[in-house]
Amino acid sequence: MTTNFSAPHRVPDDDELTRTLRVLYAAPDSAGYWSALERRIMDRIAGGEPLDVWWSVPTQWARLSLIAAGFALIVAGSLFLRSRAEQREMAAFDSVLGPTAGPTLAIREAPTEKQTALKYIDGR
Amino acid sequence: MTAIALRPVSETLPGHSSRRVTTPDRPDDEKALVLSAQGGELEAFSELVRRHQRRAYAVARAIVTTHEDAEDAVQDAFLHAYRALHRFLPDQAFGAWLHRIVANASLDITRRRKVRDADDLPETIASPFRDPAESDEIRRRLREALTHLPERQRSVIVLHDVEGFKHSEIGKLLGIPEGTARSDLHYARSSLRRLLKQLRSPS
Repeated sequence: MTTNFSAPHRVPDDDELTRTLRVLYAAPDSAGYWSALERRIMDRIAGGEPLDVWWSVPTQWARLSLIAAGFALIVAGSLFLRSRAEQREMAAFDSVLGPTAGPTLAIREAPTEKQTALKYIDGR
Repeated sequence: MTAIALRPVSETLPGHSSRRVTTPDRPDDEKALVLSAQGGELEAFSELVRRHQRRAYAVARAIVTTHEDAEDAVQDAFLHAYRALHRFLPDQAFGAWLHRIVANASLDITRRRKVRDADDLPETIASPFRDPAESDEIRRRLREALTHLPERQRSVIVLHDVEGFKHSEIGKLLGIPEGTARSDLHYARSSLRRLLKQLRSPS
């Protein structure tokens, strides 16, 4: 298929657009380029170069965060347990030593006639 | 550990010339290569680099705007992949895993570049590694039109039309839903057509 590139305002169809994009985005085709790139990559690996990019940071932060969160959880848990124990202790002291409303009297209501009759029958 | 036949390799690693390096006889046995690399065999990882660097470059080139940035992204990605190799499960596809790392590295470079070049963006966009036909009018107009496309749309159209990635794969690479990749592609094509119509020849 021949392409008329000389028409300055012609709009290419999808196929032509794709072909042209492929030319624009073509990767280098020299074997020397690729072996040089490979060597640079392996040099960096062998050199132990630090890699400070944001997508490697989360791993480091995640570890620290997990340790911090675990520690905070332990502290919070122990504080909670201690405060509950103190509350129980205080409640026990209060019940023994705290002010009371004075002696309470047990009030029993007088049984009805029906209850008296039933009790009498049961007794028999 | 997978049992594979190993043979000496004439090419040696820089800085590792004294070490006898080996690589699998079966070039398609990627899992064995990964296992060897995970076991500390640098030449096995070097072979993985050899096999995947072109495709990695293509992924990076679709996302960043210059050849130099694509090259940096590829290097960063392989370095990161090497360090994260112990977390990679050899039964998975190494290429797909690597491409996601390359995409992340490329997006990271793009973000940093955007901050750095906020004032002179148009001059830095779309300088290809080579330009076999600078005088070609339609290429010149297309290159200019690409500078006006939103970054994500440009990446999607290049990944799809040039590199042949599926919508779902593009979605995973760029961290967007498949439907968004599909609609981005549609808008990118129609925008390019509109822009090509608007852009005039300099003469």
